[in-house]
Amino acid sequence: MTEAVSNLQKALAAGRFVVTGEIGPPKGTNIGPVIHEAEHYLKGRVVAVNVTDIQTAVMRAGSLVGCKLLVDHGIEPVFQMVTRDRNRLALQSDLLSAWILGIRNVLALTGDHVAMGDHPEAKPVYDLDSVGLLMAMGKLESGTDLGHDFKGNPNRLDGAPTFFKGCCVTPCAEEVEPQIIKLEKKAAAGAQFVQTQAVYDPATFEKFMQRIGHIKIPVLVGIVVLKSAGMAKYMNRSVPGVQVPEAIIKELTAAPKDGLKKVSAEIAARLVREMKPMCQGAHLMTLGWDDLVPDIIAQAGLAS
Amino acid sequence: MRDADLTSKDVARLAATTDLMEREWAPCRYGCPVHADVRGYLEAIAEGRWREAIDIIRDRLPFASVCGRICHHPCEANCRRTDVDQPVAIREVKRFVAELQAPGGSTVRKAAVQDKARVAIVGAGPSGLSAALELAKRGYRPTVFEKFPVAGGIPATAIPKYRLPRDVLRIDTDWILAHGVELRTGVEIGKDKSLDDLRQEGFAAIILATGLSTSRLLPMPGADHPRVLPALRFLTDVVFGRKVDIGQDVLVIGGGNVAVDAARTALRLGAPRVRMMFLESLDEMPAYKWEQDEALEEGITFTPRRGPTEVLVTGGRIVGVKARAVTRVFDENKRFDPRYDDADVITMDCDTVILAIGQAADMGFLRGGSLKTDARGRVPWTPATQQTNLPWVFAAGEIVTPPGSVVEACASGRRVAEAVDLFLSGREIGLDDTLPPHIDKITAGVGEKVVKAPREAVAAEPPEQRKTSFTPVDRNLTAEAAAREARRCMSCGAGAEVIVDKCAACLTCLRVCPFEIPKVTDVARIDSVLCQSCGICIAECPANAIIARGWNPKSLPARAGATLAALPAGGKTLAYMGGYRATPADWRGERKAVPGVAEVYLPSVARLSVMDLLAPFERGAERVLVVACPDGADRYPRTAQRLRRRVEQARQLLAEAGLGADRLQLLQVADQGRPAIREALAAAQQVAIS
Amino acid sequence: MIVAERKPLDQILQALAPFRRILVLGCGSCVTVCLAGGEKQADELAAQLRLAARQKGLDLTVEVDCITRQCDREFARNLKADPSTYDAVLSIACGVGVGFMSELFPQVPVLPGLNTTFYGANVASGVWAEYCHGCGDCVLAWTGGICPIARCSKSLINGTCGGTNKDKCEVSKDMDCGWLLIYNRLKTLGRLDELKKLRAPRDWRKDRGAGVRRLTHQELVKLEEEAKA
Repeated sequence: MTEAVSNLQKALAAGRFVVTGEIGPPKGTNIGPVIHEAEHYLKGRVVAVNVTDIQTAVMRAGSLVGCKLLVDHGIEPVFQMVTRDRNRLALQSDLLSAWILGIRNVLALTGDHVAMGDHPEAKPVYDLDSVGLLMAMGKLESGTDLGHDFKGNPNRLDGAPTFFKGCCVTPCAEEVEPQIIKLEKKAAAGAQFVQTQAVYDPATFEKFMQRIGHIKIPVLVGIVVLKSAGMAKYMNRSVPGVQVPEAIIKELTAAPKDGLKKVSAEIAARLVREMKPMCQGAHLMTLGWDDLVPDIIAQAGLAS
Repeated sequence: MRDADLTSKDVARLAATTDLMEREWAPCRYGCPVHADVRGYLEAIAEGRWREAIDIIRDRLPFASVCGRICHHPCEANCRRTDVDQPVAIREVKRFVAELQAPGGSTVRKAAVQDKARVAIVGAGPSGLSAALELAKRGYRPTVFEKFPVAGGIPATAIPKYRLPRDVLRIDTDWILAHGVELRTGVEIGKDKSLDDLRQEGFAAIILATGLSTSRLLPMPGADHPRVLPALRFLTDVVFGRKVDIGQDVLVIGGGNVAVDAARTALRLGAPRVRMMFLESLDEMPAYKWEQDEALEEGITFTPRRGPTEVLVTGGRIVGVKARAVTRVFDENKRFDPRYDDADVITMDCDTVILAIGQAADMGFLRGGSLKTDARGRVPWTPATQQTNLPWVFAAGEIVTPPGSVVEACASGRRVAEAVDLFLSGREIGLDDTLPPHIDKITAGVGEKVVKAPREAVAAEPPEQRKTSFTPVDRNLTAEAAAREARRCMSCGAGAEVIVDKCAACLTCLRVCPFEIPKVTDVARIDSVLCQSCGICIAECPANAIIARGWNPKSLPARAGATLAALPAGGKTLAYMGGYRATPADWRGERKAVPGVAEVYLPSVARLSVMDLLAPFERGAERVLVVACPDGADRYPRTAQRLRRRVEQARQLLAEAGLGADRLQLLQVADQGRPAIREALAAAQQVAIS
Repeated sequence: MIVAERKPLDQILQALAPFRRILVLGCGSCVTVCLAGGEKQADELAAQLRLAARQKGLDLTVEVDCITRQCDREFARNLKADPSTYDAVLSIACGVGVGFMSELFPQVPVLPGLNTTFYGANVASGVWAEYCHGCGDCVLAWTGGICPIARCSKSLINGTCGGTNKDKCEVSKDMDCGWLLIYNRLKTLGRLDELKKLRAPRDWRKDRGAGVRRLTHQELVKLEEEAKA
């Protein structure tokens, strides 16, 4: 195996249980606050921080600039790339740009449909899917790209990147076999780590992990911090493959208004603790409540 | 099965799509000896168009009123409704309209000029008068010679008055004569004049139509007793009010209609016991079934399978008839060849015998003339041309055809008139007797989906009452009942047909048909044999590729326009009225109108297309209403829902066009009677519109 | 089959605003079958336009005609009148018909009365669903006969995304997840191995990636040229 290109890769290779965080760029140019949050709550606590890419098809400042600013502040980013908005030319170009800017971890995603976001009139691209994007990354790493020169021969790159390539999966999908088959394909296409969609039911997650035992890449279980009972119910209704159990909803309902964050952190920490034995890490999606991350890590017994 | 597909070119060549109904006849029309357009007149009656109905009937059947009373209705025997519930009571409906429109209610289509040759017709019975009518219409000058003092033949001289009131007969004979037919009663050819005399007098052709006017006799011991009465003479005597000598215990020999007439007449003359004895078994008994039933109800009894051998006379009075058993009547080839068991003989007590064993011709008309009978004693006759062996002498009716009914005689008379016309025009007498094919039976699959409706019952006089007089046995249908009964007609053959070059095989017709009739392969094809004429496929076909044979779907907008134009100016409403449950008075406009509402009656509103709903707005309507039956009460199964969808569609188009959806309303009140309908129409006028 | 639906009337009226005498031209093919542009719909639209014009006080004469197809020039011979004698033609054929009639009759504006939507199958009475995208490179052999380009909202080629929600696409609960349909179909056929194969990034050239498309049968073109020579 080649040398690790990032701390995330190194930590996972060493067999440590890793924690990653996530920030979302602003809908505008005022990126300062979110970088500040990362510096304050995530730096030194999580091994890497995902920067979302026009998440849920709501137009925002790009993941690329967010990752670059994290690098500048000494935080290791995970560059999320969706295939919804850019064709293979732009995606490959952005990958080269990312590597030049010092970014190594890349999470290849398909991306929510434009219909879900705030620009439903936009034209969806999906020139590549997530598997294709992983394949593209592999091509770039091997010094070529997806295209050909005018004679029909593969192109040759002047300088090739090396990435730590990630993908996602939905462990609690109603139909889980298609997810597993796709994960197999992502691994075959070069995926080296997995960050999952939010999981709230350890039992289901355990079954899932058993079924993907043959896919030998590390899995970071996704935990979305629940900000309220209402949010939990919304997720049950509308977010596919995410099931918040009744018990947790009750907990959130019972929480006092000023004690909500505490309960939230407790729930997240408990979930991490329960699922720690089953996987290789946890991916915390705090949706702005980054201040909870230290508590969650502490309560989960993961102080690094 | 179906013949060629219909194309746009075919349709363009037709004067009207109704011409397509000539390609294949409904079985009622096919079975009718004169091929009257039964479907056509039933439709007219269903819609209260009395005059049109009787004109359609009389176009083929001069003796409309007579047949309305006594026809044996082969049309009903062929009616396809038999396989659904019961056949349509065509004769009763015909009777209703024929007698309603008499006198003067039938159009007389006299020739503008009658200047062609004179033709003599011997006998003013159904065949003779039918021939005379046809010749008069073609411009000839027919003179009918009749030995009796009245015209009509057997219907006038022998059929009992309880079956055929004579004023009913006169409706027909008067109408016929009004076409320019000369009638000379009390003139007997062969006595007062010979056939050769007629030729001398300038008649260019002669038609023998003398029928069968005598009864066949049975030579047996005692048959010459004065109380052994030939049936026809007996009946004629009664008709003309002459005294007849019958006793208390009458035995009628014979099982045909004349025998039944004789028996029921004897009963009405007061004979306490009247029996009928005949060779046939009960199943083989030749009299019409309904005649048999009425006779039995009146207390007449039948003794089948017996043949008389002797009239027993004691002391100058008849005391009985010896009768032997019959082992068979017909041979293997269905020919009359009775066999008897002479060991099995009984005596039937009676004091009067009426012989009704068949009718025979009275050949007296040949006396003094050069026409002679053939070796078998019959008038020599060529059926193809209806000529005798003298080219200017023709024959029609029972004198030459097998014994038949009035309607068959009419057919024979019309045909001979055509033959005479060809002869007198110097042309070869080539008569085309070919008929179009007829529509086959209805399939069980379709038949069970047809909405059932019971046949209208005819009110009959109770037997105990009616057997004491010669008043008619049953009553005419009322106008409402006649219309209801006429609406049971399934309009066989008048339904939808696909114009194949316009069809896009979109499957709409297949999907909307309540009877699952269309079949779609390369194009849709609709089996005319099965189509019930509901009109839904026509209304919904996106390619306008379906025509109706029985009506013109494109005619509605113009009709709506004309009805609207007749309203006074100001806020006009066009109401399409589902007429299936409306009375004839409603259809005829003899109803209290709702101010501002023009009513257009349709056999069913299921056939209304979106265009029909929009068109009135371009022709002066401010509002359009559709009065339909509610779900489940509609004339055709599940059509109410389809109509609702089309109304909704049209409402949306109106809203889009800025007129507002409420200008078009569906009122599902057609089954609630006129007062409720009026109320609904008036209320609908109050709904606010933009 | 090409599926299309009637444009809203106000859009049509707006397009017709400069014109006085128009011809509504129906088509006897696909748009008849999907009940949008057949002869009957042409009659209905004409009636509706006349009523709307009257309502709005517009001066508008509307006539109707319908030909078998508007995408083959020979059928134009069957037109009852020369279209260029009208101020405008409102074609209620699919977009192909509108465009082609425009080309055949360049002197008269040919306006669309329908919005042409997709290639669809009639899945139930009154319901048409998009089944084919016209991508030019059919892959239905390895998707159990279900088109991933047309029936997956994202036109993915390697299986479901994470958005499947109760068997439905994340875009709408009325939309089936195309890849789940494919998965189930392949399972029924015992061909899940096709789903497991890695599919390389798609060549979009045949799906307008190489521009406007054209299909030519060279031998027929040659025959035409020889016939003309």
